[in-house]
Amino acid sequence: MIAYFSMFGQYLPRLLEGLRLTMVIAICGILIAVVLGIIICILSISGKSVLVKAANLYITIIRGIPLMILALFLYFGVIKNALPLLVSASLILGLNASAYMAEIFRAGIQAIDYGQMEAARSLGLSYMQTMRKIILPQAVKIMIPSLMNQFITSLKDTAILSAISVNELTMCAKTIIARNYKAFEIYSYAAIIYIIIITALTLLSRRVEQRLSYDKR
Amino acid sequence: MGHIIEVRHLHKVFGELEVLRDISFTVSEGEVVCVIGPSGSGKSTLLRCLNRLEETQGGEIEVLGHKLSEVKDINRYREDIGMVFQQFNLFPNYSVLENLTLAPVMLKKMSKEAAVAKAEELLAVVGLSEKRDVFPVTLSGGQKQRVAIARALAMNPKVMLFDEPTSALDPEMVGEVLDVMKGLAQEGMTMVVVTHEMGFAREVADRVVFMEDGFIVEESSPAEMFQNPKSDRCREFLKSVL
Repeated sequence: MIAYFSMFGQYLPRLLEGLRLTMVIAICGILIAVVLGIIICILSISGKSVLVKAANLYITIIRGIPLMILALFLYFGVIKNALPLLVSASLILGLNASAYMAEIFRAGIQAIDYGQMEAARSLGLSYMQTMRKIILPQAVKIMIPSLMNQFITSLKDTAILSAISVNELTMCAKTIIARNYKAFEIYSYAAIIYIIIITALTLLSRRVEQRLSYDKR
Repeated sequence: MGHIIEVRHLHKVFGELEVLRDISFTVSEGEVVCVIGPSGSGKSTLLRCLNRLEETQGGEIEVLGHKLSEVKDINRYREDIGMVFQQFNLFPNYSVLENLTLAPVMLKKMSKEAAVAKAEELLAVVGLSEKRDVFPVTLSGGQKQRVAIARALAMNPKVMLFDEPTSALDPEMVGEVLDVMKGLAQEGMTMVVVTHEMGFAREVADRVVFMEDGFIVEESSPAEMFQNPKSDRCREFLKSVL
């Protein structure tokens, strides 16, 4: 037991290096996903048939490809050496999450009763004013749990990017194990670190949710 | 007295379904017109066409001297037409007071201070001054609808449209909403009210319009309509609801 934890202490700095990269890629990836997701969502609620179909096609394709294939195909097949590894990794993760993001945004907006739009428009507010002041503030609140969920999923998905040799947490663990063969210990350390980070994020999201709540009596 | 609303040969279809067929009617300044009829007769649709919540397929609507077909700025056009919905549609993310001040301030009709003063005055009129800072979720149905009426009035509209304002309310709350509407009518507001409240129509309306199958079947004073309906369809409808 003591040996287990002292080994944890020994490798912790290396693993935290990996965690740092995991976080950087996850955050950059999610930011890319938010931007792309907003664009795709706007297309899919535009009501224009061509744009809606384009958005649906994008979502179908991205959701249909395993992240591993997306990563290998884009990195080795398309990007090659055109971009730095970290940029490529963030882009791949962002692309993968963008389809889910778009669906979260769309579902959030469409969950708001259409009467809200009609009431605001009948007062003379424009579509954009209504979106900004009435629909989006309510929709964002609904979206938060799903957004947080997606962030957690993407954070864990960074592990798959070890396939393109990104030196994130999982890759760090693999590298260490390649030298000392302690697969049980090292992978369990990595797992513990993932659990701690993700639990912290979950607690944070609950706090945010509570603060935004306006329907408490 | 000029016509505030003039509808000529209005047609409206939903896909294959013809909801409004050749509707023509007028509303004069200060007049209260109640629209009655069985569900599916097109009365709510007619009301929603007046501020273009529904697109129309033929005919012309003129409100406050503006032909709807020639309106460039639909938002400006809607500012003068208050609307009250069956489902209240208050903004749950704003307090009662903010529900009333949001549009006037945002559309630069009033300064923040003026809008708040006006909102407080209107809340007093609908008897909800003490609710100014609560969120809509804490209100009863009747209170919500009174706030919704005050919200529409906060824009200083020249005409008010009511789309079955009491249909979603528990019976004991219908009275408080109708009382507010009665007060409004007595002050001379021009009102078009789609309703199932025959008592209200009889007492408050200057004119009652009976609709069925997308047509205006009959149109007369409440006394005449309720005592002496001319058409069989109207007589049957009134018999079934009274």
